Amino acid sequence: MSEFDIIIAGAGPAGSMAAISASKAGRKVCLLERKAEVGVPVRCGEGIGRRGLLDHIDPKPEWISNTIKKAVMVSPSGIRIELRGTSEDFILDREKMDSDLVKEAINSGVSYFAETPVTSVKKNGELYECITPKKTFSSRILILADGVESRLARFLGWDTTLALSDVETCAFARVVSPLIEKNACIFFTGTRVAPGGYAWVFPRAVGEANVGLGISGNNSEPGKAKQYLERFIESEFPGARISNLHCGGVPVARYIRPLVKDGAMLVGDAARQVNSLSGAGLAYSLYAGKLAGKTAADAINGNTVNYKHLKTYEKNWHKKFGKQQLRSYSLKKFVEKYGDDSFLDRIAQSLSKEDPSKLNYLKVFTRTFSGHPLLLIKAIKLFR
Amino acid sequence: MVKVDNEKCDQCGTCVSVCPTSALMFIQEPVIDQKTCIGCGKCIKVCPFSALSSLK
Repeated sequence: MSEFDIIIAGAGPAGSMAAISASKAGRKVCLLERKAEVGVPVRCGEGIGRRGLLDHIDPKPEWISNTIKKAVMVSPSGIRIELRGTSEDFILDREKMDSDLVKEAINSGVSYFAETPVTSVKKNGELYECITPKKTFSSRILILADGVESRLARFLGWDTTLALSDVETCAFARVVSPLIEKNACIFFTGTRVAPGGYAWVFPRAVGEANVGLGISGNNSEPGKAKQYLERFIESEFPGARISNLHCGGVPVARYIRPLVKDGAMLVGDAARQVNSLSGAGLAYSLYAGKLAGKTAADAINGNTVNYKHLKTYEKNWHKKFGKQQLRSYSLKKFVEKYGDDSFLDRIAQSLSKEDPSKLNYLKVFTRTFSGHPLLLIKAIKLFR
Repeated sequence: MVKVDNEKCDQCGTCVSVCPTSALMFIQEPVIDQKTCIGCGKCIKVCPFSALSSLK
């Protein structure tokens, strides 16, 4: 048995950030990853807002494949709204970013084990034990970052099972076509394209984009995400070259409460720390990972490994992003209920009369929720 | 009872996230514990690549 101060299960961005910050605070940290290589295949659209990235990490230039200043929203009937008043969005290279974060963890002293799936977890006295096919790892504090599956938390009494309405089933691919413009992120809505979700085109370079879509689990059928994606690409970019076709699930649920139980903490997709309306989770994950890792290390440094200390992770997350995340969930619920195709077309119709240079995401959302004062406040606060 | 087509499976884990009895897991390949599976079919429904089907 190998003993550590802190074990982190899952080496995605949340797990790696937790490992880096705990190790830099002086603790003996172990990072366990199921796969041979992190970041492969990329299960992400790779788009992130400027602040979402820069507020939480100092990115290497090679992590950013494109910087985009314009967004286009396409309504179900095809009305195109240009948003030129948005701040920059980055299109990332997650394969590079994820693997660099693991390298940084290793360089900062973390013991990293690839191809080491944790099959179960249990508490034995003061210690958590992570059982893997190779051996058992133990630690005083355990950080679970096992992604959308969030299976390990269930061994410790959390119910992380997602309702069908709280998961988006996604398919995405790398698409090469002369019809792709380099300077705009495009979002398509409508039942025909992506029932209960949306399709996205995030350009990486001239003529090359990440194209994907998500369908609400409620509306899903076996293989539907893939079929819809292939149909969407054929209709938008006929004759395109398609590669790296992969799928994924995005949790669009309320973040899990509590985030802390005894000496165990949840971070990232495993904690459902994802904006329910957009499906974006990277910024939340980077922040939560860093915070959880630091809180865990401080608890051991100060000999205060207890719920009361670890709970500060949850409190600080709630203040910074948790409240916003819960708002995004109630807005998602509203859209689910009322946001049918004709509703979205009506909003697009009214936005089409506005000056594109003054339009941004906030404006779109405030228009969407304008008839509903409580939701409107939530929508505005989402952008703070 | 559910079976998985390893050729089609992309190991994305969406099925695991909705499984109410934790009957599904990934080690090197997807594994289904038929004793725990209650046959609710949620995993089959959400699989983006239709890699899961019902075992009759």
